[in-house]
Amino acid sequence: MNADAPRADVAQAINVDPAVREALRGLRRQTESVPRRTALPDLAERVRQVGADEDLVRRFEQAATAAGAHVHLVSQTDQNPGRQAGARLPAGGIGPRADAKRCAWIAKVRELLQARGAKTALLATARPDSALNSERRQELVMFLAADGIAEQSTPDDETLFSVDAAITDVSAAIAETGTIVCVSGPGLARGASLIPPVHIAVVAAQQILPDLYDYLEQIGADADLPASHMLISGPSKTADIEGVLVTGMHGPGELHVIVLM
Amino acid sequence: MSASDAFRARVAKAVADRRVVQAVHLATWRKVSARQAGFALLRNAEELRDLASQIKQHTLENLPQYLEQFVTQVRRVGGQIHWAKDAAAARAIICDLARGYASHLAVKVKSMTTEEVDLNHALEAIGVRVVETDLGEFIVQIDHDRPSHIVTPIIHKDRRQIAAAMAREIGCEYTEDPTELTKLARRYLRDIFRRCDLGISGVNFGVAETGTICLCTNEGNGRMSTTRPRVHIALMGIEKVIPRMRDLAVFLKLLSRSSTGQPMGSYTTLITGPKRPADPDGPERLHVVLLDNGRADILRGPFAEVLKCIRCGACLNACPVYRNIGGHAYNSVYPGPIGSLVTPLLNADRRHDDLPRASSLCGACYVACPVKINIPDLLVKLRAATRARQPWGKRAALRAWCWAMCSASTYRQGQRLMRTFLPDDGEGWTTRGVGPLGEWTATRDLPRPPSKSFRQLWEEGLADER
Repeated sequence: MNADAPRADVAQAINVDPAVREALRGLRRQTESVPRRTALPDLAERVRQVGADEDLVRRFEQAATAAGAHVHLVSQTDQNPGRQAGARLPAGGIGPRADAKRCAWIAKVRELLQARGAKTALLATARPDSALNSERRQELVMFLAADGIAEQSTPDDETLFSVDAAITDVSAAIAETGTIVCVSGPGLARGASLIPPVHIAVVAAQQILPDLYDYLEQIGADADLPASHMLISGPSKTADIEGVLVTGMHGPGELHVIVLM
Repeated sequence: MSASDAFRARVAKAVADRRVVQAVHLATWRKVSARQAGFALLRNAEELRDLASQIKQHTLENLPQYLEQFVTQVRRVGGQIHWAKDAAAARAIICDLARGYASHLAVKVKSMTTEEVDLNHALEAIGVRVVETDLGEFIVQIDHDRPSHIVTPIIHKDRRQIAAAMAREIGCEYTEDPTELTKLARRYLRDIFRRCDLGISGVNFGVAETGTICLCTNEGNGRMSTTRPRVHIALMGIEKVIPRMRDLAVFLKLLSRSSTGQPMGSYTTLITGPKRPADPDGPERLHVVLLDNGRADILRGPFAEVLKCIRCGACLNACPVYRNIGGHAYNSVYPGPIGSLVTPLLNADRRHDDLPRASSLCGACYVACPVKINIPDLLVKLRAATRARQPWGKRAALRAWCWAMCSASTYRQGQRLMRTFLPDDGEGWTTRGVGPLGEWTATRDLPRPPSKSFRQLWEEGLADER
């Protein structure tokens, strides 16, 4: 028996259907003669394509662009909030929280939505530690309201199938493959990054991990995984008809990733 | 008609259809170069292939343990596990579940395993409408056709056929523009996704460590089908389990590159149990049906290596035989080089004896395989294993050939005879042999021996010429 293999009788401990348990026992008997001589290899350094010392934002931008996403790098050190946000502040102002460092990304979101004539947008964020924390979210909502874009935050069926765009945060991003990761959870609908025709994801530069391996190694150790991890690399696409690439088969036809530098 | 004659008739028909041959050539070459470009971006592609092969080998050697771990973890996170020893059992389990949930409309993610057990017909027989949601599979379904490639099922169809099928079967306007056709299919399937009550998928990888199932799609149908319905049933071949979440990195780096050349497909979804109570959407129930259907038998035998396959389709694209005869000629769910192994092994009868013989053994499949399955070697072994069922005349002729090749004098005599008696049908090829040779040249061309052998040239002074 190989040292790497898991314990033999784990299925005993939990409530597994007796028929399944019997089938597994049968399989064990049937395969007793199979020689066990191959060890499970060590992976880490042999698998990684991108190291932590590389320019992760640049690698992410290249890979995501190659996968068909539009990447917008937004600096957070711009000085003039009014101009960066693209218009005068809404009447009554948006309060002291709308400081200069935070508004460039809002200008980008507004530009994207306006260019597409969006009337409604779903705002699906729930991670207090993400790029779209409650403060940023509040600012965005006020600007959208000023633009006449109705913000929806309840991801029910009607909303998911009718909004013009969805704006979400992410739980991680991967430089190697240009991937963003959304997860399911309270307030985090799987449909948000899937059903509306345009998906705008907001990523903090610090969230970008070097390699796919880094992310999977990290979640492999998590005993309490969310029901769904959605690794998203570019928009929905198909090439089933004569090999012609078409985006937006089932999921969003456009994916925009705003990286907060 | 014998199985052998039927196979030849299918091949003859396929080769005669120039339109299909051309379409398949174009598509496979495109994929071969996309794969090469994708692999060129890897720092250590060969090492990754070795690692993938090693992980699969280790897993197969310890399959019962990893399955037990997988089963335990799926149960822990709230999923149900079922065991199907064969295709009939898989159909019965899934039909029972569909009945139990009073399902009427099922959406399906593209899955080779569900094709293998012929699930759709069984579900439709009990009144469940099944809709394929991968664009290619959807078109195959509405056009009452069969898939001809494990990754791109309508590789054999052109846009006119697709346009006609769409207009006829879903009543949309006729257009040959792929973008418009895709939009029309999207609109039609969106309505289905709003109403469906059951999602059925295969499994690309099952992670034992966490009880996670991984689905890879580009279109997002895998996500739609596991987000919208209230029940998700996943049919998983028992060989799909891998030990650790981090092992998945190795396979994901290879899978899309081998299939389409992409570093990563658009959507890689990791599903760990059904929706949690506070989640706004997702299926409330998750059933994983583990499918044996002959795999345990293969595992014990000399062909266990075929169970490493991750169904990327690279060997189909690389294969000169597949490229010329297309998928339908194989008359099997799994076509191409890997299908020529898997099909006869999963269906232990003589119907598919010709498949391992329909190969030039050039080895292009082995070079392309991301998990380094030595397909040509296994094809030869499988030929040997089914030798006893070959026609008497063929066996005798091959024995004679073997005897002649084993001694220098008979070899020389044979050469002389061939030079005299093989007709030259142009450009140094024999395409119409006589007598027992006719059988051989009916499906292959034989190169004529040159007028002088190398040995003769050598004796005449080739050695001095340099």
